[in-house]
Amino acid sequence: MTYEPPVTDYDHIVENCTCAFCGCNCDDLDFLVKDGHVVAVRHACRLGASKVMEDMDQRLLVPMVRNEEGVLEEVDWDTALDTAAKYIAESVRPVFYGWSETSTECMKEGVELGEYIGAVLDNQATICHGPSLQAMQNAGYPIQTLGEVKNRADVIAYSGSNAMNSHPRHLARYAAFPRGYFRQRGRFDRTVITMDPKFSDTAKMSDKWIGFEQNGDYGFYNALRAVLKGKKLQSESVSGIPAEDIYELAAEMEAAEFGVLFFGLGLTHTLGKQRNIDIAIKLVQDLNTNSKWGLTPMRGHFNVNGFNIFMAYETGWAFGVDFCRGYGRYMMGETNTIDLLVRKEPDCFMVIAADPGAHFPNGANQHLANIPVIQIDIHWGPSTELADVVLPGSFISVECGGTSYRMDGVPIWMKKAIDKPETCRDDEWIVRELKERVMKLREEPNVADEYVPNEGLACLLDK
Amino acid sequence: MHYANTYLERPVVGDLENVAQEGTTKVLKCMLNTGSDIYQGACKKRGSTLKEEYKNASGTCYMDPRDMVKLGVKNWDTVLVKTDYGEVVLNAAKSRDAPHEGTIFVCKGPWANTIVSHETYCCSDPTYKGIHATVEKTDRKVLLMADLMRWVYKKYVDEEDDDVVENMESLGERPVYNGRKWEELIDHDI
Ligand code: SF4
Repeated sequence: MTYEPPVTDYDHIVENCTCAFCGCNCDDLDFLVKDGHVVAVRHACRLGASKVMEDMDQRLLVPMVRNEEGVLEEVDWDTALDTAAKYIAESVRPVFYGWSETSTECMKEGVELGEYIGAVLDNQATICHGPSLQAMQNAGYPIQTLGEVKNRADVIAYSGSNAMNSHPRHLARYAAFPRGYFRQRGRFDRTVITMDPKFSDTAKMSDKWIGFEQNGDYGFYNALRAVLKGKKLQSESVSGIPAEDIYELAAEMEAAEFGVLFFGLGLTHTLGKQRNIDIAIKLVQDLNTNSKWGLTPMRGHFNVNGFNIFMAYETGWAFGVDFCRGYGRYMMGETNTIDLLVRKEPDCFMVIAADPGAHFPNGANQHLANIPVIQIDIHWGPSTELADVVLPGSFISVECGGTSYRMDGVPIWMKKAIDKPETCRDDEWIVRELKERVMKLREEPNVADEYVPNEGLACLLDK
Repeated sequence: MHYANTYLERPVVGDLENVAQEGTTKVLKCMLNTGSDIYQGACKKRGSTLKEEYKNASGTCYMDPRDMVKLGVKNWDTVLVKTDYGEVVLNAAKSRDAPHEGTIFVCKGPWANTIVSHETYCCSDPTYKGIHATVEKTDRKVLLMADLMRWVYKKYVDEEDDDVVENMESLGERPVYNGRKWEELIDHDI
């Protein structure tokens, strides 16, 4: 990398903007604006800065529809919205996937549309922290806010998460480095432990690296729990970690005044899936007998947690909610996007602020090649290559305000800093328009038939 | 207009010390891991997914230097990675997190997608990590994102005809659609 002089040529600064990248939702960014463009960003990390100073080459600016030759053609908003609404209204098993990079206000419109038409609503949790949400239903959710971590925590453990690469300011702003009320000396008052098969960039910054084997997480956490309960380990090493090290680690974790376990996709993507998280949560519960511990999933997108909180509040389930029977249903492994696509069930797929083209396995994406795909996004990405209708949205927290939820569940209002390109629309507006147009095309909402108990049952009920 | 620059043509990787000209192994068996790193994240979210930069950030197989010696590959040579779920051509590069002999790391993206498992085992989440794979040296080129998507999913081309897809002109690093009016719509001088 070469030295770059600081940007001095700007018209004004917009202070205290929120970063719309990862679940840290850093809300202390300053945007330097010139001629209606953000030309530089202060305080953000490499990821945040690069997202805010987007690539205008690939910005979607005009609504587009595929023509018969399979080429995207620019159309006006009315045509694009009508085409999309027609696809949705004519489908029997639509899936609305995404939502994690848009505002909670937009989700509200989405859930109304989904309920009306009988769609499946799902978000990126299905391919990242879905198992974590399932584990929380199994084992509980001992959480704390990031502010508590900053002010109190003296032991920070990262498990299966490479924060330095995926949440670069997490250590600097919340976990390891900041000086807090009870941690006046910042990093010197804290111990950082990283558990990861790789010697990752986070491990390089830690005081301790536990490099258990690939797929060895479940065994390792069980061993740790056994030791915490005062048991003796029968074998010399567990998951590639020598028994002495496990004893030492257990003692260190138990001696913490306030410990926090941050866990990432390293745990949810390996074979144990939700069982890995179950055991991590139980480990935190065990540690709480003698010490004080909490845990937080390292959520990837800035509002992925928002969708889960919003859906749990509105429908009772955090993600993968299926309205096709006229009432909400949720069944792990059945009503989730990947499973639906692999089974080739959906006949219409709406992607909003997400990129399945970039993040779904081939086996699932294959089905997107057979069905109409509607994309609402701001950039031309891998999903655009599979999309039949493209609706250009606006950039939340830069061009449009909105509410998002941080990884610890704290809601944050993200304000608008500059105007959006004239031809784009807000996500919320697009989804509302779609909803209204679909309602015109399909007059009856999708509701379950009235429940009529059969006669035998009816007389049982009478008694 | 002077913009702060977040562009980086390819990720920074370490130099290889001793590379044998000829590898000793033709096909290397290993474990495949996927995930994100900062280069891939920055490029993806900036929206530069059609560019060479994304190809280098996401379509790269990070390997232990000892494994690279075994195969006889240098940084930015190409390798063919195969799993039970598919195969893809990737750049090879020395991992920043080495040593991890026997494990390769590919950042998430359309390239990794072709070789990861879609099995969710009823847990909603596909198995992105810990997949058995083989790596071998190849002369084939790593495809740009748009070309890769066309080659893998064949949504808008004749899927019967493999030849057509192989020999089609590259879609390039810019959005392709009729009459690009958008340049007139906004001031566009990055
Ligand atoms: S840590 Fe996350 S939220 Fe904070 S600036 Fe970086 S990408 Fe944005």
